[in-house]
Amino acid sequence: MQAFLSQVLLGLINGAFYAMLSLGLAVIFGLLNIINFAHGAQYMMGALAAWLLATYFGVNYWAALIVVPVIVGGLGMLLEKTVIRRTYRLEHLFGLLLTLGIASIIEGLFVNYYGAVGRPYPVPSMLQGAVNLGFMVLPLYRAWVIVASLAVCLITWAVIERTKLGSYLRAATENPPLVLAFGINVPRMIMLTYGLGVGLAALAGVMAAPIYQVNPLMGSNLIIVVFAVVVIGGMGSIMGSVVTGFGVGLIEGITKALWPEASGVVVFVLMAIVLLIKPAGLFGKPFSGATLALDPEARPPLAGEPRQYLVPILAMAALLIVAPAFIYPVFLMKVLCFALFAVSFNLLIGFVGLGSFGHAMFLGLAGYVTGHVARNWGWPPEFAILGGTAAAAALGLVTGVLAVRRQKIYFAMVTLAFAEMVYFFCVQAPFTGGEDGMQQIPQGKLFELIDLAQTMPLYYVVLCIFLLGFLIAFRTINSPFGQVLKAIRENEPRAISLGYNPDRYKLLIFVISAALAGLAGSMKAIVFQIASLQDVYHSTSGDVILMALVGGLGTIFGPLVGAFAIVGMQQYLAPLGQWVVVVQGVIFVVCVLTFRQGIIGLLARWIGRPL
Amino acid sequence: MSDDIILETKGLTREFAGFAAVSDVNLQVHRGTIHALIGPNGAGKTTCFNLLTKFLQPTRGQIWYQGQDITGTRPDKLVAMGMARSFQISAVFPYLSLIENVRLALQRRLGTSFHFWRSTSSLKHLDSRAEELLKSVGLAGMGHTKAVDLSYGRKRALEMATTLATDPVLLLLDEPMAGVGHEDIDTLTELIRTVAVGRTVLMVEHNLSVVSTLCNTVTVLRRGEILAEGSYDEVAGNPQVIEAYLGASDE
Repeated sequence: MQAFLSQVLLGLINGAFYAMLSLGLAVIFGLLNIINFAHGAQYMMGALAAWLLATYFGVNYWAALIVVPVIVGGLGMLLEKTVIRRTYRLEHLFGLLLTLGIASIIEGLFVNYYGAVGRPYPVPSMLQGAVNLGFMVLPLYRAWVIVASLAVCLITWAVIERTKLGSYLRAATENPPLVLAFGINVPRMIMLTYGLGVGLAALAGVMAAPIYQVNPLMGSNLIIVVFAVVVIGGMGSIMGSVVTGFGVGLIEGITKALWPEASGVVVFVLMAIVLLIKPAGLFGKPFSGATLALDPEARPPLAGEPRQYLVPILAMAALLIVAPAFIYPVFLMKVLCFALFAVSFNLLIGFVGLGSFGHAMFLGLAGYVTGHVARNWGWPPEFAILGGTAAAAALGLVTGVLAVRRQKIYFAMVTLAFAEMVYFFCVQAPFTGGEDGMQQIPQGKLFELIDLAQTMPLYYVVLCIFLLGFLIAFRTINSPFGQVLKAIRENEPRAISLGYNPDRYKLLIFVISAALAGLAGSMKAIVFQIASLQDVYHSTSGDVILMALVGGLGTIFGPLVGAFAIVGMQQYLAPLGQWVVVVQGVIFVVCVLTFRQGIIGLLARWIGRPL
Repeated sequence: MSDDIILETKGLTREFAGFAAVSDVNLQVHRGTIHALIGPNGAGKTTCFNLLTKFLQPTRGQIWYQGQDITGTRPDKLVAMGMARSFQISAVFPYLSLIENVRLALQRRLGTSFHFWRSTSSLKHLDSRAEELLKSVGLAGMGHTKAVDLSYGRKRALEMATTLATDPVLLLLDEPMAGVGHEDIDTLTELIRTVAVGRTVLMVEHNLSVVSTLCNTVTVLRRGEILAEGSYDEVAGNPQVIEAYLGASDE
């Protein structure tokens, strides 16, 4: 009983943090209309700032509770004023990408200076010890966290219900486009709101410091769970975020007591159930149909006529055929695997406007399945690759059915959350080899003819598979189906009125994209003879976004060029360690702010034809 | 007489947080007529329209179309049943060519819209029909222009061509004259008159002179309820209607 109750208590504490973080996200979303991906990093900044202030300046916990949210919130306002503000007139997507980049920069910097190890932060003396409630022992600090966070949530709620800032916020959640248009005339209001949201995250961080070990990565996994909480609750109401946050924490705690293995995924299972039953979320409102007027320059261009690409595609194939004479073939194979992965991602984001932020789940799972059937079941490589691809497609079907039920802004969070669930599954499932990964995957002979253990034959097989995947994607864009996709992206209500059900089309393209990502993952497993957790991890999902962005969203050749650039950079900068993360974050930010068309987009503009 | 009625609502009601935007509306649209739905601002015209086109679900009541209950039907299913709608803000696919815009309405019937392995050139044989439709709305020879480059009036015409391409029996037009310049009103009125031949048209419209020249039947809504119905002259002479219009300060 004691053990059960203490798990429930722990669940409530987690719930307190979920509530405060999802509250901050909802507040920011209400007025800025962006999902703040940097929220986890800002929570971490709160915890680490408290630790730094205590260690170097002797600032105690109680002072930190006031000072840290002010400092971090202030930095947030500065960030809003200088950087985030520039994305309001762009597609939602760019706001996501920008804050994702900012999160990488912050986390990368802190890991560089403070390492990834956890640092203890003392419980304030006034709150040390525990009270015996008879049925359980309640540590004082934990009781304080629950009470204080509830108070913070209620105060925030009161501010939003009773003040002028609050009335703007409420209006904004009712009708985002109207108030965004209106809000642009009151930039200070937006800045304050962002500062408030970030301050809440930092406050949560300070409160978390004595409970969890303070480390630079403490926010990155938490935030994905918080996204799932936001999807469960919907962002329609402030009280809704609070109730959902505590509720989900509680359920997680109970699960941990009864069935510990499932506690990592229970939130995501809850999310899936809610998406099935009430797609708008428990407290969310159904989509009103209002859309933002976007800067036409900000959207990726539509591709040109198929025949315009004939010569460039032949040139690309020719270059790749002769490339091993000049470039190390193993590096090229890595590039081709990631290029196909990026092609699959670009198919969704560039041509349908769906940003899948968990695409690594398809790459990684396919790799494991291919590895497993090739190594343990003795399947020949051609069937192993097909098996991995099919597994990814099946995963795409299951997650896609749920993900397409949510409108664009949530799509990123839903896919990210599902990917985290797959990651937890892969960490625990025995067949994946957990942290060690799946090693020594046999390469075998393709069609019992081509020995894949030899580098050059392997390279040309990989090239063929890449070209196959590339052409499937190319044809998909230029098919009757692709036409309907373009129509849905251009004007969804009009597409409905012409008799098309957008969800079905989105689902099919999602499955095709998942299958292509799976093909890339299967190929990668055969090439490198290893399948590892890295390929399922959210940083890999981030890598592929970056490749597509750098290459040029919605371009045909962008993914290949982007994969070359990013894989090359990672290889070249590998000795710099964690600085690579920072560099990637900077590239994200720079691309979103000044280079949205990407390398290929820029090239296409120079030569005056689509590429 | 009942099969003379193509679209009928029974007790149609839609409430938003306790406020009835449309309340117990019993509307009958007769086949072959041009029927207008008018009323002062806030009368519930747009809500009513969105209910009929299934873009909103009613709180209560039923919608019958050609003897079939369509209350629970998804909006995308209506096209195959011969019902097509237009939008208040001209709805085109801006970065597609005019041909592609119209072709999207034509290609659904081929049944290949999920065929991702087929080439777009399999749609080429629809181009001549698309050109014909473009010509019928006065956009001949502009097939390769992008819709975004058209003037507002021409976007309206394009939207009409696309709507016609679905071969509708019943056309639902949401304020077809909204935002259309003075000089284009007559052309568009004529266009609607032409396309209405052999079809039924239900339109929400603010421009009363257009309604008076075009429509056989007029239904006046006020505060979500039907206030009057009849020919334009009948309702225009109705003292309650006059009061509703003059009394509404924002009109």
